Amino acid sequence: MIEFKNLRKSFGTREVIKGLNLTVNEGEILFLLGTSGTGKSVTLKLLVGLLESTSGEIWVDGEDVTKFSEDEFLRIRRKCGMVFQHPALFDSLTVFENVAFGLRKLFKLDEKEITQRVRRCLEMVHVSGVEQKTPPQISYGMQKRVSLARTVATEPRILLFDEPTTGLDPVTTNAVNQLIKELSRRLKTTSIVVSHDMQCAIEIADRIVVLDQGAIVDIGTPAEIMKSKHPLVKDFMAEVNQAAEARSGGL
Amino acid sequence: MIGAIFSEVGLTVLFLRDIVRTAVRNPINGHLIAEQIVKVTQQSFATTALAGFFVGAILTVQFTLQVKQFGALGYLGGLATSGTIREVGPLLIAFMLSGKVGAFTSAELGTMRVTEQIDAIRCLGANPLLEIILPRFIGIVISSFFLLAIGLFMSIFGGLLMGVLFSGINPDEYLRHIPTIVSLVSIASGLIKCFVFALVLATICTYKGYATTGGAKGVGRAVVSTAVATMVCIVIADWFTSFIGDVVMFLFIGD
Repeated sequence: MIEFKNLRKSFGTREVIKGLNLTVNEGEILFLLGTSGTGKSVTLKLLVGLLESTSGEIWVDGEDVTKFSEDEFLRIRRKCGMVFQHPALFDSLTVFENVAFGLRKLFKLDEKEITQRVRRCLEMVHVSGVEQKTPPQISYGMQKRVSLARTVATEPRILLFDEPTTGLDPVTTNAVNQLIKELSRRLKTTSIVVSHDMQCAIEIADRIVVLDQGAIVDIGTPAEIMKSKHPLVKDFMAEVNQAAEARSGGL
Repeated sequence: MIGAIFSEVGLTVLFLRDIVRTAVRNPINGHLIAEQIVKVTQQSFATTALAGFFVGAILTVQFTLQVKQFGALGYLGGLATSGTIREVGPLLIAFMLSGKVGAFTSAELGTMRVTEQIDAIRCLGANPLLEIILPRFIGIVISSFFLLAIGLFMSIFGGLLMGVLFSGINPDEYLRHIPTIVSLVSIASGLIKCFVFALVLATICTYKGYATTGGAKGVGRAVVSTAVATMVCIVIADWFTSFIGDVVMFLFIGD
């Protein structure tokens, strides 16, 4: 279980997260939705220690990680896998080496086992035949899938997705969204997804949290969120309805 | 403005401390360092050799105009080579390397930072200082020192060629006074400067790249500030090493 207690984060004089209180239940897919600059990505980065909080607590499996040193965070990073907004693959390494990177750093596995796990993870994200290519030699959508494979290769119990579909075409976006759902269910992970995509959240999420200016404005199951009266949520829902109308209109 | 400069200097020194600490506490991956040495040397060998050649040639032309007035053309080789090796050669070649190696490295690391590759390294349980900074730092120090030394060596040939073609001095005469004027101390002074400049270059370009923020614009800013900071710091380091050299000479030789 993950708990954020009165979490605050400022950059200079600008407070991005203003006292966040949130509990993420074991095994659920939680979507963090909101407009740009509301602290969604920052929340994920605070959880894995890529940023330091200004005040407040983050509890992961009974430990407050906000006081952790870089070495202590290794323990948390073994539990958490993060998929970034960019594919963040290492250009100088092949696809195989990229997926194997975390396995080599976090675990003491022999090469045979590493090879098996890399192949299995690439199959899971429906990528094959590109193991020996470098990231610039494959498409952006494929890079995103490889990035997913690299994250799940270390078998994390918590999956964090930071806008995983940004910059993708609608077809690939849909494929990546389905992968998130499939992987989270199959690997029985707790997943937090940062997104702008309400449609995707409604289809995939167990719960949706809507953030605005660093604070939660609404929280609930997709069915509850769809009935929300909050203006921001209504704006998000209006976009979903417009897209649905456009599709039914024969586009 | 001044506060910001001091803050940046302080952060750079802390970054250097972290690199040294990482190097001391962890086993160093020799393969990654060798890869960097080969890459940097391959990228800059031809241009450094060419720059060194012309630095020697330029100084020979300038000295020719002076020594001819005193009828001391025989000393041309010694004076031009001494001036090149002790001062002008390391400085100009280091400027060129800061534009080539420094800009490339800060752009590469800056791109890794803004595309979250450095964050990904941390999330995958590795230390970015050990994985990407240390190999580049050591690689740049070693290869830049080697390139600067090659540049100085080439400057002798540039000076010799210009001495023959421009000053009309024969090669034997040009080379005759080099050992009498260019002492071991001069060579040591030049090589120490080369090492210090390599260290300055490696520290600044890795720091600026690693500390990049703000997307593509941030990478552009990092590259520009790497070029400016490296050149300014190389000039300061040049003065400082000359000053320290003079103090050491006075203490040990008394002259």
